[in-house]
Amino acid sequence: MMGASVSKSNLRRGKTETASKDEIESQLWDESMCFTSYGVRVGIRVNREGVLERILPHLPPGWKRSRSLNVDRMYSFVIGAKGQVGTLRRLNLVYADESQIASTPKLHQATDAFESDLQLFVAETAPRRVFVHAGVVALRGKAIVIPGRSFSGKTSLVAALVKAGATYYSDEYAVLDERGRVHHYARPLSIRGNGHLKKPKKHQVETLGGRSGVKPLPVGMVVVSKYEPGARWRPRKLSEGEGALELMANTVSARRQPEAMLEAIRGVVSLAPVLKGTRGEARQVVDFIFERFARS
Amino acid sequence: MKRAKEQLIPEARRVGLVVQELSGEVLVYDRERNKAHCLNSTAARVWEYCDGKRSVEQIARAIEEEINAPVDEDVIWLGVEQLSKTHLLQESAKLPEHKAGLSRREVMKRIGLAAAVALPVVTSIIAPSAAQAANCLPSGSACTSSAQCCSGLCNVSTCA
Repeated sequence: MMGASVSKSNLRRGKTETASKDEIESQLWDESMCFTSYGVRVGIRVNREGVLERILPHLPPGWKRSRSLNVDRMYSFVIGAKGQVGTLRRLNLVYADESQIASTPKLHQATDAFESDLQLFVAETAPRRVFVHAGVVALRGKAIVIPGRSFSGKTSLVAALVKAGATYYSDEYAVLDERGRVHHYARPLSIRGNGHLKKPKKHQVETLGGRSGVKPLPVGMVVVSKYEPGARWRPRKLSEGEGALELMANTVSARRQPEAMLEAIRGVVSLAPVLKGTRGEARQVVDFIFERFARS
Repeated sequence: MKRAKEQLIPEARRVGLVVQELSGEVLVYDRERNKAHCLNSTAARVWEYCDGKRSVEQIARAIEEEINAPVDEDVIWLGVEQLSKTHLLQESAKLPEHKAGLSRREVMKRIGLAAAVALPVVTSIIAPSAAQAANCLPSGSACTSSAQCCSGLCNVSTCA
């Protein structure tokens, strides 16, 4: 347990907070830890023993325990806080520094909200990396980057590529360094079932018959695709500048560190073609990519 | 009057911008407006020559000299207008009446497809905030609008 992080907090009321300020301030933390992820220092503290263990699977890939007590963000889990007046429900509250990010009776929802907030925080503030919201696989020593936001179909395309033999790197972020090389962010794939509003199920890449890569790779191709039932994949090659704008539109730290973003993205588009089009079933794109890489 | 207006001396804005050159194109990030622009090669050349000393006519001559081919002045006007609209000039350039609203189609029609330079094009996007570039929020997360939630429903400030 880290000494400094088990002290009483000075959390203030968030917008959607339901527990009183005094209630939170009087918390004593039973478990805590600090870790680093892509150069970002994060602390977690929990008011109930045994819960930290259930939080660990939600940490970003490659996290490392840290001894430092200085953190860039502190997450506080208040488990079983008293609910609103007139209700008997006990809520689990999660705070990122002083802002409440979750208020739910279900612990798994609290940890999901934590995971979502944490990965965004790391992506936005990582000092030496540029995070582009994208799926990434590798073929023949080159990364294939598939930028896109939620529901763009990038995870299903990544899963189809992995099943066809590509190496898995990420279904969430292309983590770029200043040379435009991609580093892995190999968390389990979050695949939504039929009906896109269903909660995604996590799949280890091995269950899809694939494997994860860890070595940083240069980008061999960027695929900007939009799913449309029945569409035929006939992509257009974008100019370097147009391709750069497509990547920028999905860059988490675009506003915070534009210099690093432009440098990293230049490294990508100066080496790799950016192809854009609408696609039907993922199979079309998979065949297209494998054919291209077989020729290269 | 007309003559005075035609002597527009455009000057490129440099403050508050991050610039990255690509092969032939230029990327510009505007920190004040959080917008990113891609200037094609002609727009990039026009922007480069907007030094606050040359008139539009002189810019056309300078580019002609550089590429060793004739450049129609309207191509430069078109570029200056786009650069002005995207706030990449020091002051917004007021085009002479007969040049204002010059369309790409008109210029293309007049100078023909065999022009020595491509028409200037500035493509822009609004840079996403971190939250916009991220995934949707899972159930139980604090929210302010339904669009933020994977479920599509923000109920009492919490994603359903």
